[in-house]
Amino acid sequence: MNGIVIPFTPNDSPIVGRDRPRLDSTAKVTGRAIYTVDIEKPGMLHAKVLRSPHAHARILSIDASAARSLAGVTAVVTREEIHGLHSYGTYVKDQPIVATDAVRYVGDVVAAVAAVDERTAVAALDLIRVEYEPLPAVFDSTAALDLSAPAIFPDQPFAAYPEYGDGASGAAHTAHNVSYEFRYETGEESIWADCDYIFEDTFTFSRMNHMHLEPFATVAEATATEIEVWTSTQSPFPMRKELARVFGLAENDIRVNVPLLGGGFGAKNGPKTEAIAIRLSQLSDGRPVRYCMSTEEVFLTLSQHDAILTVKSGLKADGEFMARKSRVLLNGGAYADASPLVAEKAGYRMPGAYRWKRIDSVCQAVITNTVPAGAYRGFGATQATWASERQVDLIAERLGFDPLELRLKNAKELGEEFVPGETPIDSDLKLGLNLVADAIGYRDRPRSGNRGMGVAIGIKDGGGVNKPAQARVKVTTNGDVFLNCGLVEMGQGGHSALCQIVAETLACDPKRVKYAAIDTDNTPFDQGTNASSGIAVMGHAVLQAAERVRSSVLDMAAEHLLLDRQSIRLDNWHIVGADGTTYELPPLIMDRFGGTGFEFTADGYFKVRSSSSAPLEAPCMFWEIGWAAAEVDVDPETGRVEILQLVVSGDAGKVVNKLGCRGQDEGAAVFGLAQALFEELRYDDGELLNGEALLYRVPLAEDIPRRFSSITQEQGHGAGPFGTKGMGEGGMLPIAPAIAQAIADATGAQLTSLPMTPERVYNGIRAARARQGRAHRNA
Amino acid sequence: MSLESPESSQETFTHKVEFELNGSPERHSVPTSTTVLDLLRNSCSKQGVRASCERSVCGACTVLVDDLPVAACSTFAFDIDGARVETVEGLAAQDGTLSAQQQAFRECGGFQCGFCTSGMLMVTTALLRQNPQPDREEIRDWISSNTCRCTGYEMILESVERAAELAGAKQQDQAPE
Ligand code: FES
Ligand code: FES
Repeated sequence: MNGIVIPFTPNDSPIVGRDRPRLDSTAKVTGRAIYTVDIEKPGMLHAKVLRSPHAHARILSIDASAARSLAGVTAVVTREEIHGLHSYGTYVKDQPIVATDAVRYVGDVVAAVAAVDERTAVAALDLIRVEYEPLPAVFDSTAALDLSAPAIFPDQPFAAYPEYGDGASGAAHTAHNVSYEFRYETGEESIWADCDYIFEDTFTFSRMNHMHLEPFATVAEATATEIEVWTSTQSPFPMRKELARVFGLAENDIRVNVPLLGGGFGAKNGPKTEAIAIRLSQLSDGRPVRYCMSTEEVFLTLSQHDAILTVKSGLKADGEFMARKSRVLLNGGAYADASPLVAEKAGYRMPGAYRWKRIDSVCQAVITNTVPAGAYRGFGATQATWASERQVDLIAERLGFDPLELRLKNAKELGEEFVPGETPIDSDLKLGLNLVADAIGYRDRPRSGNRGMGVAIGIKDGGGVNKPAQARVKVTTNGDVFLNCGLVEMGQGGHSALCQIVAETLACDPKRVKYAAIDTDNTPFDQGTNASSGIAVMGHAVLQAAERVRSSVLDMAAEHLLLDRQSIRLDNWHIVGADGTTYELPPLIMDRFGGTGFEFTADGYFKVRSSSSAPLEAPCMFWEIGWAAAEVDVDPETGRVEILQLVVSGDAGKVVNKLGCRGQDEGAAVFGLAQALFEELRYDDGELLNGEALLYRVPLAEDIPRRFSSITQEQGHGAGPFGTKGMGEGGMLPIAPAIAQAIADATGAQLTSLPMTPERVYNGIRAARARQGRAHRNA
Repeated sequence: MSLESPESSQETFTHKVEFELNGSPERHSVPTSTTVLDLLRNSCSKQGVRASCERSVCGACTVLVDDLPVAACSTFAFDIDGARVETVEGLAAQDGTLSAQQQAFRECGGFQCGFCTSGMLMVTTALLRQNPQPDREEIRDWISSNTCRCTGYEMILESVERAAELAGAKQQDQAPE
């Protein structure tokens, strides 16, 4: 990478931006880290659930009497035991705690048992008799739309959705088996008439499992009037709200505790194990109930959305992009879960990194009899980027442009608006693209053999919509600091980064800052840990809280020492005067507040302001961008793809913790790599064929290209504290399209479906040869 | 992921298992179907032993049995009778000083969520005992037995390389003049 200049923001701060071990590192390398699966309560019971063997069936009867009378069983939950409780879901509330009228996919929960141990619970499940009447089922989204397909919800479940701003609209139940539809439109329809070329292509995107190593787990202690859970959730406060709604209780009667998460990647947003554990505990005299899924059950609980994306783009003869129209179908599985939100994002992000005069985008989340799909790293942008970037390459080939040059020609400038009313682009997209291209030697690549290169850009609005974040910082007499906020540590290093911001602000040793345990009774409110919002959104709240604490300490000291407030500063829990004299704070505080000491405390708050001209209610906080470049070698005889080089880059805006940033981008890139080449949930006529760890292939160290690296840019335009931006999803977006273009560059095979298995690549090569043959004959 | 206590089992067949755990003797009476994972987590309070797939695929539960990495979820407890067993809890020195592997993972950020970390550290320990100076290929081979969903592996590879370096340096320090 000689001669490549990586943008970075000069560092004059002693703590932020330093390469220091994370706060949680010692606990994690000694095995002392506590995850939800480690929580044990005296007298704890264990839950197991009975799952549907049918993809779609009416429940005629359930006889659980034998299970109830088995020794060691304390409670059984069937549809009888959830009368009066509500269903859950984001926007569309369609998922009951256990199935009521019908089961809607293989794995749907029909009943749950609590017993003194898991073995007894499993034995009890065997005693439950369920009579089903099988119903016709539908598995793919196109078929589900057809009016002849079974209606998976004969009655439309309750739904509520936002008032969008300019150009955007959304509605539930717009078509047969559609749970939610999002639309976005801007520019004049007449622009199509000015296009010299119009191309329409269809792409498919496969479905993956999150495969977080720590499964979904909850320990619940609940009575009819009070609920406490320890649970693996990314969103403690939305969880509290949803549980209050489901169980009809006040929010202050529900307490959610969140230990460390062993991975989340979006899966741990909505309720999973919580409601079942709670209901079982309520029926077991309030004894604690632990419900921890097996990996197989995790596979039956949530997945990514597979997608069919049809994109029509119009451009001028010189390659200038003009208009784009797209229709995206997301397979949302049996329950809506976060599908409406994913539909919103997949639809909104179809313009990609480029300038268009006209956008017309529709995205529908379709209900089918498959595992529910929900939030997944990249959140709709993965699907959109695959189709959007792939079509740029197809167009480049058709018109004889270099794919990189076509991108550079049409990419938005720094500061240019994404769409009207939206935040301007806050990274130099071209700079990043050139950076990764140069890093693999794109421009002087040898044009021989079966080697090829590709580049891609992925872009998503980051920071989430409607995310108020609050934080509290308190400092003891001796200068020990507690940071109290709801950012969940699921691996991203968020706790460390936020504590670094506090340490920096209070000019203290980062070792003195402790991230307080999260529980919704005591932790300040937050909308959840997702959308890469941690450092940018929560970061502001934390920074503000820390600044306020610093101010009150300085106010107190100035008054007490009779010094000019403006001329003193805080350093390592000392007051430093203008002349350099230092005063120890503890004696001063004792003097001022008395012998028992004192705690300085302050709150911080942040939320992006809503605006009716922003399509998604509020302009986004920042743009999360991923650039990638890949070099591959393809064996034309077998279709096997070897990745020779893979470079991923994200723009942190400003780095707070280098190790954390790198881990986020590289981890995300490997998700993308796996989706590109092999990882997918395979279905055969609705039957999930590989829903377990043995058969489901996730990447191992041996799958990582020998030349794999990440470049963390610090372009410095972020809206977060110190100029930071969020990361962690961006790195996933451009990987599959970059690899696809590298394959096309090497062999002429233009693939439009994921994953790019040897079979698909081989067929693609044959198709390319046939095309070339035709071209020769026609010439 | 099981967390049951062996006492509550209805099984009648039990086995006496005696083994050395992180240098201390352990004696337990366990039902036939008890796995090493159950035994270590539930009866020996070694919660640093993680469990994920329980199918001997992911390696999160890796412990060392007589110096070799073993999937605790898929090994019967009666199988470790007479063996020397090591878990992540045994890596640091008595006074809490981290081992070279632990230090390296900490320093190089060889983890994100940390759920795979115990297993990765145990594989690293076994590898460095067999070959104190492994090259990248060998490290890659070894850690390919374990899954990490978060890091993208590159930082783990670097952590293992660094562990070898640190362990080497420590040995040099301790070598007689
Ligand atoms: S838990 Fe033992 S190998 Fe996965
Ligand atoms: S750090 Fe999360 S699985 Fe490896």
